[in-house]
Amino acid sequence: MKKLKKALYILALLFPVTLFAQKEIVIEPANITMEVGQKKQITAYVMENGKKLKDPINLLSRARRSLSIDSTMMAHAIQPGTYDIVAVADGVRKNFQIKVNYPAIASIKIDDIPQKIYAGTSIALKYHVIDKSGATRDNVDVQFSSMYGNIAEVDDFGMVNTLIPGKATITVKAENITNTITVNVVSNPIVKIQLEAEMNTARTGDVFHFKAKALDKNGKIVEDAPIFYSFSGVSDNTSQSASGLIKNDGRFVADEAGRYTVTASCGVASASKTLKITPREVTRKIEMVGQGSVNDKHTSDFWVWEGIDGRDYAVTGTWGADGTAYFWDVTDPSNISKIDSVQVDARTVNDVKISEDGKICVISREGASDRKNGLVIIDVSNPRDVEIISRFDENMTGGVHNVFISGDYLYALSGGQKYYIIDIKDPKNPRAVSKFELDTPGHSIHDVWVEDGIAYSSNWADGIQLVDVGNGIAGGSPENPKQFASYAYPNKANHASFPFRSPSTGKFYVIGGDEIFPYGLNTGKGGVNMAGGYLHVVDFTDLENPQEVARFEVPYAGSHNYWIEGETLYVAFYNGGVRVVDLSGELMGDLRKQGREIAWIIPNDANGYTANAPFTWGAQLHKGHVFFSDWNSGLWSAKLEPEKPKNTPIKVK
Amino acid sequence: MKKTLIIVFSLIAITALQAQNYYVYVAAESEDEVALVKFDGKKAETIKNIPVGIWPAENEGPHGITVGPEGKYWYLSLAHGNPFGTLYKYETGTDKAVGSVTLGLFPASMQVSAATGLLYCVNFNLHGDMVPSTVSVVDVESMTELTQITTGAMPHGSRLTSDGLKQYSVAMMSGELFEIDAISLKITKTLDLDEASKLAPEDHSMMDHSKMDMGKSKMDEEKKSMAGMDHSQMDHSKMDMGGMPAMKHSAFKPTWVSTHPTKNLVYVAGNGAAEVLEISTDTWKTTRKFKTDKGPYNIDISPDGKRMVVSYKTAAKTGVWDLESGKELARLDNSQKVTHGVAISSDSKFAFVSVEGIGDDPGMVDVIDLTTNRLIDTAYLGKQAGGIAFWKIER
Repeated sequence: MKKLKKALYILALLFPVTLFAQKEIVIEPANITMEVGQKKQITAYVMENGKKLKDPINLLSRARRSLSIDSTMMAHAIQPGTYDIVAVADGVRKNFQIKVNYPAIASIKIDDIPQKIYAGTSIALKYHVIDKSGATRDNVDVQFSSMYGNIAEVDDFGMVNTLIPGKATITVKAENITNTITVNVVSNPIVKIQLEAEMNTARTGDVFHFKAKALDKNGKIVEDAPIFYSFSGVSDNTSQSASGLIKNDGRFVADEAGRYTVTASCGVASASKTLKITPREVTRKIEMVGQGSVNDKHTSDFWVWEGIDGRDYAVTGTWGADGTAYFWDVTDPSNISKIDSVQVDARTVNDVKISEDGKICVISREGASDRKNGLVIIDVSNPRDVEIISRFDENMTGGVHNVFISGDYLYALSGGQKYYIIDIKDPKNPRAVSKFELDTPGHSIHDVWVEDGIAYSSNWADGIQLVDVGNGIAGGSPENPKQFASYAYPNKANHASFPFRSPSTGKFYVIGGDEIFPYGLNTGKGGVNMAGGYLHVVDFTDLENPQEVARFEVPYAGSHNYWIEGETLYVAFYNGGVRVVDLSGELMGDLRKQGREIAWIIPNDANGYTANAPFTWGAQLHKGHVFFSDWNSGLWSAKLEPEKPKNTPIKVK
Repeated sequence: MKKTLIIVFSLIAITALQAQNYYVYVAAESEDEVALVKFDGKKAETIKNIPVGIWPAENEGPHGITVGPEGKYWYLSLAHGNPFGTLYKYETGTDKAVGSVTLGLFPASMQVSAATGLLYCVNFNLHGDMVPSTVSVVDVESMTELTQITTGAMPHGSRLTSDGLKQYSVAMMSGELFEIDAISLKITKTLDLDEASKLAPEDHSMMDHSKMDMGKSKMDEEKKSMAGMDHSQMDHSKMDMGGMPAMKHSAFKPTWVSTHPTKNLVYVAGNGAAEVLEISTDTWKTTRKFKTDKGPYNIDISPDGKRMVVSYKTAAKTGVWDLESGKELARLDNSQKVTHGVAISSDSKFAFVSVEGIGDDPGMVDVIDLTTNRLIDTAYLGKQAGGIAFWKIER
């Protein structure tokens, strides 16, 4: 028994003292609720064994931009919500919350509606709920009601459907605030709709331009008549549904061959037009011609050019390896041969470009052993014996992911944030003359392409940026780049941009490409991958108001780099290989669904770095051959069957 | 009987010692991987590669790595983002990512305070303009960045005192040492390290190293190596300073600071000066200066407070110092070029040194026995082995 007592005594001595001396942070007041804009003094202290200590303590907001607390423990409510606060002292912490009430709703603003609305037509209300802090709120329940439902009724989404002439009162309510407008419904004078289009037969993917006129009983045009367009159709293929896209300006495009009816209506008056849509029939054969194998490392970007000796050459980069770039003789695309290489201090040579005169090559460096990345300028006058001329690192150490050469200037990305424009008139002594960088929060950039004095950069969430670097459209120059247009799309994945001035329509498109890996990427040997993302066709004809008009998407594959020549697009779709796409005519809707894909080819290589795992990086047309690089297998060439004259019957064996 | 017992206990002790396994996490910066390296007292090997990052086609650069004081989680900074880097939280053992938060430009080294539970990570901003950067303070429970504290240009080497109440970092370009109160999150002291170096009272460069145990290196003539960046020689005159006044470019070029486990001392690596300064955090003055080989980069102090291990990045060597005598006990050749980080085991017996390599060289971890000052074995991992953190000893 004595021994047991002794053991218990020793155990008690050894028991952690902290259990008996538990520190605790006390917050006063215990429950804190604030109003937006309010400041409130908080008291916090450490207690131990019932005694208040003088330990230093700090209160830290987990959402300091919405609710901040200064070093005197004064809380400042900036945004409504419930915020977590962490109180820290030596060896003790406490989490608590501060609630900042949403301000009451102050007003509901309703955008102007037409002074008169023709009976039988509809109008969507546009409204904004504003609270007392001046913030626009989209998290409140909004209700709609009509006092004279026989004249105009309103649905739960604010769509007003007019019925008979008269004045109806529409009320919008949020919390206890209401706003009321009067809808003046007048008798509908429209008795007839005239509907015209430039044609009544076309191929899938061809864009119709319908023009509808609303006429009164005297045959006079009612200029302010709201016209609504719709379509229905039946596919020639019973396994398919007729589909397409119609816009409220009368543009229509069909995806499937079949019969379509386009209808324009205004109230009870309507007119329809039936169209016959035939298959686009642009498909052609494509055949693999040759390969320059790289199977000991990943291959990145490439460029094919005519050398000063008249022969044809290519340069390829490498990814996640030893900083090598390879040079190839591709004069005979069926016999691609490696003729030289350079190795620089890098793990990735992501991009390679050649000057227009075929004498200068620039390669990017990432993953340098001293973290001092940059670019390297190479003399490729003799591609069989290339020589490094100079290296440029100033302000480039964050890594150069992509480069471009235009005239006497290099465009080089720096650290994923900006691009520098570098004068290489003397390639031994390159010097930066300017830079372009956005000022948006957290901006970043992935690529830049220059054509006709315009730099097209790809800026992820900030989308496509058009910068005058000598075109003159905005008074810019390489020394003074001037941004003049942009377009950002919602998925924030803009990775590449390529201009396309449509010869057949005169329209100015820029095609923006995504880069997305929804299933991850296994970069190791043996990794088989799938990508995601697609091409966004943006109509920049009106520079002030660019419109995203079309897309090209390959299911379960993702877009990467591409090339446009004439009205044909050559695009690498990673695991989807190279896709050749018809860009003729106006572009609208889903280009692949419209049958605009001319050909596709996928490079399977049993001896690849990862065997039989095609992952195509980029494509380029050169002297009639489609060249492309593949991450797992190197450089390839393919030949597209010549386009057949229209109306030539295709012989079948 | 007594003899038998002694023998039995000795055998048990020896067996226990031999059966100990040591585990370190190492970031492979150009592979976007973290390797878990196991060392059994003789042999070191990578037992697991953990892919990290979310932008598969971009190199996100895992740089800094630390294990929390409770050992349940490890934390990893990914240097490159769009444009900001990210801190990730992983569960030790399962190595499952359980949280992340965006920090500043090029988040690098970091540590979690035992006192506050907060993580303090320097935003190295290695490739940015020479302007002051910040220390991010992160609540790792919710993975929320609570604040950023502005310090100097290119801050690096975030280390806390053992009580977790003070955080130290150095600014590589502006040549400053910062002390931050871990609770108030205020800078409490700054020190001009170029001046501190000049005023150092003791210069160990005059020491006689002729009797030094050189390990297997035998003081070979230095191999030409890919050195760390020497910004003091660079022309930044054309750099956009964002309207800021021109900043001094430190010749001392501090790259790391480590704290002593029991004394009020910190040790600062002067990468540009080839020296380590011992600085009293009480007097805020240099107490000793240790002349090193070229390019001292990272430092770790053994938990028993007896040894200081310094990576010599430029020389591709590692120095083992006795803190009591101030003598360099050994200067060991590393297995390849570009020596990077150091982590010492919790029992103070082994130093794990990451070695980056060049190009497609594999990353390596050299294991040094701190009782014999010999390099024992090397583990191989993905490219550019950099950040390194000791996890645990397991029997």
